[in-house]
Amino acid sequence: MCSRRRSSLLAFLLLLAAGAGDAKVFLSVDEAVKLAFPGCEIAKRNAFLTPEQVRRARELSQGEVPSALITYYVAIRGGQPAGTAYFDTHRVRTLPETLMVVVDPQGRVGRIEVISFREPEEYMPRGPWYEQFRGKALGPDLQLKRDIRPVTGATLTARATTDAVRRVLALHRVLADGTKP
Amino acid sequence: MSSFWKGYVLMLVLALVLAAAAFGQSGSTEDRVRELEKQVEQLKAEVAAMKGGTPAGPAGEDRVAELERRLEVLAGEIEKLKIGEAAAAADQSDYGLGPAASKVYRTERGLSIGGYGELSYEHVGGETENHAAQGEDEEEAAPGDHLDVRRAVVYFGYKWNDRILLNSEVEYEHAGEEVSVEFAYLDFLWRPQLNLRAGLLLMPVGFLNELHEPTVFLGADRPEVETRILPTTWSEAGFGLFGNAGPFTYRGYVVNGLDARGFTDDGLRGGRQGGKEANAEDLAGVGRLDYTGVPGLLIGGSAYVGNGGQGIETPGGRKLSVGTRILEGHLEWRWKGLELRALGAQADLDDVAALNAALGLEGDESVGERLRGYYVQLGYDVLAGRGGGGNQGGAALIPFVRWESLNTQDAVPAGFQVNPDTDLDILTLGLAYKPIEQIVLKVDYQNLDNQAKTGADRFNVLLGYVF
Repeated sequence: MCSRRRSSLLAFLLLLAAGAGDAKVFLSVDEAVKLAFPGCEIAKRNAFLTPEQVRRARELSQGEVPSALITYYVAIRGGQPAGTAYFDTHRVRTLPETLMVVVDPQGRVGRIEVISFREPEEYMPRGPWYEQFRGKALGPDLQLKRDIRPVTGATLTARATTDAVRRVLALHRVLADGTKP
Repeated sequence: MSSFWKGYVLMLVLALVLAAAAFGQSGSTEDRVRELEKQVEQLKAEVAAMKGGTPAGPAGEDRVAELERRLEVLAGEIEKLKIGEAAAAADQSDYGLGPAASKVYRTERGLSIGGYGELSYEHVGGETENHAAQGEDEEEAAPGDHLDVRRAVVYFGYKWNDRILLNSEVEYEHAGEEVSVEFAYLDFLWRPQLNLRAGLLLMPVGFLNELHEPTVFLGADRPEVETRILPTTWSEAGFGLFGNAGPFTYRGYVVNGLDARGFTDDGLRGGRQGGKEANAEDLAGVGRLDYTGVPGLLIGGSAYVGNGGQGIETPGGRKLSVGTRILEGHLEWRWKGLELRALGAQADLDDVAALNAALGLEGDESVGERLRGYYVQLGYDVLAGRGGGGNQGGAALIPFVRWESLNTQDAVPAGFQVNPDTDLDILTLGLAYKPIEQIVLKVDYQNLDNQAKTGADRFNVLLGYVF
């Protein structure tokens, strides 16, 4: 390669590196909750599950429930429940991701947002993939390769996401059952 | 101990030490969460005891209120530890930067380590289609049984901050007979739509060149189309842009061109330079566009355009450009347990007659002026949806069939003959079993059929892992 071409290449690299000045923005918990429930009153709550509730959540989700302390955000609009947001942090391959899973008042998935993703972004499915979960309720078909289609090259993320959604829906049902008279 | 094993053991020890250091923080975070949760439980018990047993009165109520306040504080601390940097409020400002820009200072740095490996058994039939004994062809596996530690790969990534990170892979092939850096590049992340990548790059062509871990494709061997026409694993030094917009993902790089000195009648594989003191007299551009707007569907294509002359001269002293164009299209559809893949590729080369003269190729040894191939593969996971929970769960049992057809001398210059060996059809019938997502055992039978009737059938077994 001639020296002029090499110099141009180096100059271009430096220019682009210098231009990469803006930080990549993660959603914070506050930002995510506001995004999910615009114009709503939001109450943050903590639930301390009993061993029986943990067992029930495990059974419903068919997966792990790593903590008995559940923090969630309840949104109220015009005096009526608008939904509940949960934050689930889990390992994908070797590094963690945090998802916000919004459950609507009918107990179905309302929205999923990736809050942080520490694995290489190649392992993160694109937006339309997450749309598959919208409106889904907890049931035997809410699984990868049933109602949820996998993604080549992001299989572990797809599985971790599906497991997280099942866990959140199970916890939501357990908490809802716990508040019934 | 051979130098390979010494090197590999050292690499693993280094990896473990680095991993321990990297995960030290997350380990202490988990300990801290457990400790806080214990404190919460104690406080909860105290609150319950106070509510049940303390006589009514201002002092008792104050004590309960104080314990409830502490409970909320501890619960908040646990949430922060669980979620990490995302729990930090967006309205804080660090180091004089705006709230969004300062988040980078709250982001944990990170070393990530991974890898994959393949151990294969291959039986190559001694009798060919025309019932003759298999000949000695250095490009084909010899007849008989072979066991091979085909690949042991270690992946290192490092994230300095949210904007700059490193990805690299060091690969040992055939138990250390070949050692190479498969890729090593820096990503400068700007925004989802536009980012810069520079270093030793995997060419973004086909299904397997960028995603070739044994668990992501069916069959013990990669399809021949993605071996001879798209010469996986193919990496070259260069730089370029990548990103995504809506349902579209793209990558576009400028790299050193292939080196036509390595082209043969069997394909372009020998032309890869892989960053090994590469000839960069001639450059190339390579780009890819994929659409993933429908869950389960991937459809896209890639193009490589460049010269492979790299200073090759004819006997008369003329420098050859050897223009090389590779076009490829691919489609994948995954629905429930079904996996369908289809790929077609064509390469066109210029100056082939002169290249043959420069390389001393004669008769039916000509490099192809046009190379062409395709494959279609269908598999079905009979255990689909029975995985249960846990992100390492999900056993899969996938019978599959693959049909491929390729010709690495689809056209040759006037005055040269076609070698009928290079016109090949392969039918593969196989089974892949994954006890968990990261481990696969593949078994398949391949029926090879070429125009020279010299194709020998194969039986392959491969054990693969990723971590």
